[in-house]
Amino acid sequence: MEEMVVALKKKRRVAVAWAQDTNTIGAVSKAVKRGLIDAILVGNPSAIKKTCEAEGVDHKEFTIVESENEGKAAAEAVRLTRSGETDILMKGLVGTDKFLKAVMDKESGLMIPEAVLSYVCALEIPAYHKLLFITDTAVIPFPNLDQKVAMARYAIEMARKFGIPKPRVALIGASEKMSRHFENSVDYSIMCKMADRNQIQNCIMDGPLDIFLACDKKSIEIKGVETPINGDADILLFPSLESSNPFYKGLMLFANGELAGLLRGTTKPVIVMSRSESETSKYYCIALSCLMA
Amino acid sequence: MVLKNMNDLNRLVEGGPRKRLVLAAAQDQHSLGAVIRARKEKIVEPIFVGNRKDIEKICESYNYDIEGIRIIDEPDTEKCVETAVKMISNHEGDILMKGKIGTATLLRCVLNKEWGLRTGNLLSHFALFEVDTYPKVIAVTDVAMNIAPSLQDKIAIVNNSVSCLNRLGYKTPKVAVLGAVEMVNENMKATLDAALLSKMNQRDQIKNCIIDGPLAFDNAVSLESAQLKGIKSEVAGDTDLLLMPDIEVGNVLYKSLVFFAKAKVASIILGAKVPIVLTSRSDSEQAKFDSILLAAAASE
Repeated sequence: MEEMVVALKKKRRVAVAWAQDTNTIGAVSKAVKRGLIDAILVGNPSAIKKTCEAEGVDHKEFTIVESENEGKAAAEAVRLTRSGETDILMKGLVGTDKFLKAVMDKESGLMIPEAVLSYVCALEIPAYHKLLFITDTAVIPFPNLDQKVAMARYAIEMARKFGIPKPRVALIGASEKMSRHFENSVDYSIMCKMADRNQIQNCIMDGPLDIFLACDKKSIEIKGVETPINGDADILLFPSLESSNPFYKGLMLFANGELAGLLRGTTKPVIVMSRSESETSKYYCIALSCLMA
Repeated sequence: MVLKNMNDLNRLVEGGPRKRLVLAAAQDQHSLGAVIRARKEKIVEPIFVGNRKDIEKICESYNYDIEGIRIIDEPDTEKCVETAVKMISNHEGDILMKGKIGTATLLRCVLNKEWGLRTGNLLSHFALFEVDTYPKVIAVTDVAMNIAPSLQDKIAIVNNSVSCLNRLGYKTPKVAVLGAVEMVNENMKATLDAALLSKMNQRDQIKNCIIDGPLAFDNAVSLESAQLKGIKSEVAGDTDLLLMPDIEVGNVLYKSLVFFAKAKVASIILGAKVPIVLTSRSDSEQAKFDSILLAAAASE
């Protein structure tokens, strides 16, 4: 993660929607101090100032824009980003539904027409020798084939921005066999052929694979499965939100994982973080959005 | 191990044990002619089941030497097919051939649950072509039996064909799953099935072959064509077996090859306990003979 931060060259402007919570302000301040961004905090000025004081942060580091409530703050932050006054949108204390509603507004939102809205995150785990990109951990409950293809493309794009020219994409399941009874294995087989035919580009793709085959070279030898992923995956694509979300949270909780994630399918980078996530994660998300901007 | 032409097929059976061919409803000049020739060339030892009087009459008219051939007299057509099939069930024959009887009737007996030739596999049609413009023989399936095969059917059809090619000496035949294009297209089921079959083969769920697809016909048979399109495939340009998406395109290809490319063809039915030769009157003499040859080479 640190390498990513160090590699950032251009300063970006971030609009934060309903920016009065500790973690958000802490993360934004850290990013400002590091020279990564300038920030416009949209919310209740006195609440913002109060939090700043409590955190020992100088509120003059930021531009503060007053807003009555969550919904209006989200809309205003979106407007700022859409108009180009800021480069990046960040969710503060506003609820995710209200926030995404503003992002997804057909007239005034930040959606790329016809694009799939999805989420990719990069995980730094001490037990793995490199960054692991995971999708979709936040948005799509049961992706169909088209959505899975979009997810793969977003993850590949992100991995390439991190300097991996041809990332290894492992399509995750419970087994490596194709079975017409498991629709995900059907989708995965189709995707692999699409990658063979260069319809999904710039990757080495295989699946279905279980986590061990995707991330553990020893497993490959033991099971005798031939796969170009070879226990060396860069990207893990999951069949559902209910499998990806507990997976990354498990890693954060038990494996000292550090995370940076971003919404994809938007015209400008959008940072969406759970209110329970740490200041460090939020800081890395900001850095990630600068990388992807 | 690759067969370049029908002669190579002949060499496979040459000098080996003669396979026993049971001709059901043998009072049929078209099939008799081919069988007698195959006997002369020491490929098969025939057994005729049918109307003895009519059989002998035809053989006399056409000067077929039937000296020493076992003839089982059964004038009733249905009963004679039953007899022929039961003989095979009893291990008295290695090949079943259709004489003067409808295909449906023959297959009904083959599929009889009590005394038939079922193996639990789907029956499928397998054709082997020799074409001047292709450097080796090429197999095509299924051009005459399965109308609109599901994925499961295609798996069975591939397995039948691959087992047959294994018996012809191909250790890992290259199988091209044909479509109209080489890219995956959600609206084209043939391309989706191709992707699934490829993956199953990669995971060793379909064995003893290398499967790739979708491939368009030109990509399958011409390496140059495949390279022009930037296709990376172990099968492209070197196909041993073409898996057709359905019977219409299969049948059209079969007949185009015969009529326009003057191809030689041998066909058999796979999936039963023994190979079945089902020739029709429109088949050439050579095709009938080659089909018997193929059946002999493919039988265990």
